[in-house]
Amino acid sequence: MQQHDIQSFLERFFIATHCHILERSDGHIRVQLTAEMDKQLMNRPFYWHYMERIGAIGEPLQLSLITKPSATKEGEYIHFGSPRLHQIFSIAKMNGRFIRLYEQVSERSVALHPWLHTNILLSYECDRKQDRLLSLGIHLISGSIVESFYNVLKEKQWGVTVPDYCFTISPLIKPLSGLGRLEAFVERLIASETHHWADEARARWKEELALLKHFYEGIEEKQEEYENEKEALRQRYEPKIHMSVINGGLFYLQAK
Amino acid sequence: MNVTMHWERSWKNEFATRIERDGPWSNWELYELALEATKALTIPQFDGLQAPKHLPHITILPHQYDVARQVVEQMNGKAILADEVGLGKTIEAGLILKEYMIRGLVKKALILVPASLVSQWVQELNEKFFIPAVAQKKSYVWEQCDVVVSSIDTAKKQPHRDIIYSQSYDIVIIDEAHKLKNNKTKNYEFVQGLKKKFCLLLTATPIQNRIEEIFHLVSLLKPGHLGNAEQFQKRYGKLRTLHDDVHLKELIRKVMIRHRRHDTGIEWTKRHVETIFIDFSEAERNVYEKIRQLKSPLLDTSLSHMTLLREICSSKEALFCTLKNMLERQPHIEATIGALLQTMNDIAEHTKAKKALELIQTINDKVIVFTEYRATQLYLQWFFKQHGISSVPFRGGFKRSKKDWMKELFQHRAQVLIATEAGGEGINLQFCNHVINYDLPWNPMRLEQRIGRVHRLGQTKDVHIYNFVVRNTVEEHIFTLLYEKIRLFERVVGELDDILMKLQSPAFSSHLERMIAQSKSEGELKIKMQNFVEIFTNMEDSAHAAT
Repeated sequence: MQQHDIQSFLERFFIATHCHILERSDGHIRVQLTAEMDKQLMNRPFYWHYMERIGAIGEPLQLSLITKPSATKEGEYIHFGSPRLHQIFSIAKMNGRFIRLYEQVSERSVALHPWLHTNILLSYECDRKQDRLLSLGIHLISGSIVESFYNVLKEKQWGVTVPDYCFTISPLIKPLSGLGRLEAFVERLIASETHHWADEARARWKEELALLKHFYEGIEEKQEEYENEKEALRQRYEPKIHMSVINGGLFYLQAK
Repeated sequence: MNVTMHWERSWKNEFATRIERDGPWSNWELYELALEATKALTIPQFDGLQAPKHLPHITILPHQYDVARQVVEQMNGKAILADEVGLGKTIEAGLILKEYMIRGLVKKALILVPASLVSQWVQELNEKFFIPAVAQKKSYVWEQCDVVVSSIDTAKKQPHRDIIYSQSYDIVIIDEAHKLKNNKTKNYEFVQGLKKKFCLLLTATPIQNRIEEIFHLVSLLKPGHLGNAEQFQKRYGKLRTLHDDVHLKELIRKVMIRHRRHDTGIEWTKRHVETIFIDFSEAERNVYEKIRQLKSPLLDTSLSHMTLLREICSSKEALFCTLKNMLERQPHIEATIGALLQTMNDIAEHTKAKKALELIQTINDKVIVFTEYRATQLYLQWFFKQHGISSVPFRGGFKRSKKDWMKELFQHRAQVLIATEAGGEGINLQFCNHVINYDLPWNPMRLEQRIGRVHRLGQTKDVHIYNFVVRNTVEEHIFTLLYEKIRLFERVVGELDDILMKLQSPAFSSHLERMIAQSKSEGELKIKMQNFVEIFTNMEDSAHAAT
């Protein structure tokens, strides 16, 4: 994410969270927070607690953010590493986890088919780490699975209700079973691939374990220390893949 | 397959509830933003560093970047960071810590540093690296905070020790790690018992006196890398053949990274090292000879001729303190001591002090004077003042705030800073470029640390080092010994920047080399040195007598 992407991310974020953008220029943005965003961003729980206790309406703060060091306005400088941006990232992730949307079609009497979409993060971990994102959709009627499904979704218009004169088809596969099928799909995908990184990590592990054994050989009184070191090696080198759903939900869309 | 897989299922459970309750549902824009935020934070590859793009406000120097990258990619997160003093080891450690935290491989970190540096580390990690590090002040901090900075001395004490031992750390970072060179100390044992996945040891001087030190340091980091203690002693204890040196150096290179100033690609100012030989006045020589002739039974077992001889080379004030203590412990030697004190009265001024004064006057700029003795420090302060030169004292024991204050005074008010504690850890004096080593420590690495206070990033002028040596005294022998230790360091670790003048050809180097290699402790080495000095001076005497 480059510096200019940050500005547009922030603007979209505050609009999506219903905050009012008071001022915007190249490299600067000033926002009137909603009460909800103030609670999530400004870290003043005592204020809100107090206002609620006395039955008063709290006054949300404004936030002035700078995304270009050259900007002449006053405000908090936001760059890729700044804690504020990471806080906003995690709020976005938190608030965008579950969804249900209907495709907005202009024709009448269109049947909308149920799909389950998930963005899945795979983390390949040993003493090093690499991530991979999958975007999978499953058709909850036929069970067919589509990769990079997000690319299909982002081309369409969405609404929170079924468009007039259209109807939805009920899933034959329950959403949770659909998720189970996607999980199995991911596991098969991983199993079908070669994992040199894991072999290499195990080789490093084996090599260090041999050195460790040798070092503690014949020192009875250091048994506990040896076990600690051995466990630390396992934690460091054992190759594993963590899999988690970032966000997902139900999408009803027109059959092609 | 060679990999274990693990599903994190919190999303699934929550999703089930939302379906049941028919919401609440997010909107498309937030759904997209959540994905974009995730994308921005994903680690695209095993290789390379993510941290720099999180830290646009820090200038990361090329050698610092290389260190971080090498530690993560090739050393699997266990390394001794041994750059020369002043190249920014703290930045390197911060960069590595940040990288692991971004990658999610480190959550819990323990950072052990000298007590005087705790707040500085906390501040740098928070402000420069946005790492929420906390100084350990209350015992709940160990468990409730993820990144904790503390001194070893605090950490090893109860109740802290037990709490720390019950935790499993993702990374342990130890600053000034050369203090862990001895495996018999409580500090060493404490660190050995920590549960740690990754580990960084920071020291500019991984070997100070003996080859075993590197063995202990490496064994703390990666037990077995240099074999076990017995094998190491057998193979390298004497370090005779070149072949072994090369092999050992290579092994060490796998766990240690060292940059020298000129490796960094930065324009460094030059270092001029000069030895200044001083001849004792008659009065000083008399005292020196008197001490030499003292009968050994007079001396405490803890003391040696060597100590007293070194002290008189520094100042009679330094000697006086020791003599006074001796007298308190063994009143029966009053007569001998008394006679000695009488002789000392004849010393009106120290030749060395006069030389220092002369030099300071010629330099006519800021000068740091290092001495081994507090009494000498006070004497010099008084002596310089008599001649209209203002100075401030500096000791390792000063609190951080006092150190900063003294630095302030030195920078703006005084011409001279007189320091006893070579480490002067964490104080940077780049605005000064003259260092006088008024007397020499046993340990060349302390000289390196001293010089590092001024010859570091930010120094704009050439740095001048003056090493004082009193001719025909124990100082000349210390001088030679320093050369030998420098050689040991260079054989095992690598080249060292000049801290002594380039050597011509020392007369007794091979003898000394054997002595250092075969001594098992500092004590033993001292005794051997003492004998050696006596034999040597006797030889000199008889040579004089013969002529």
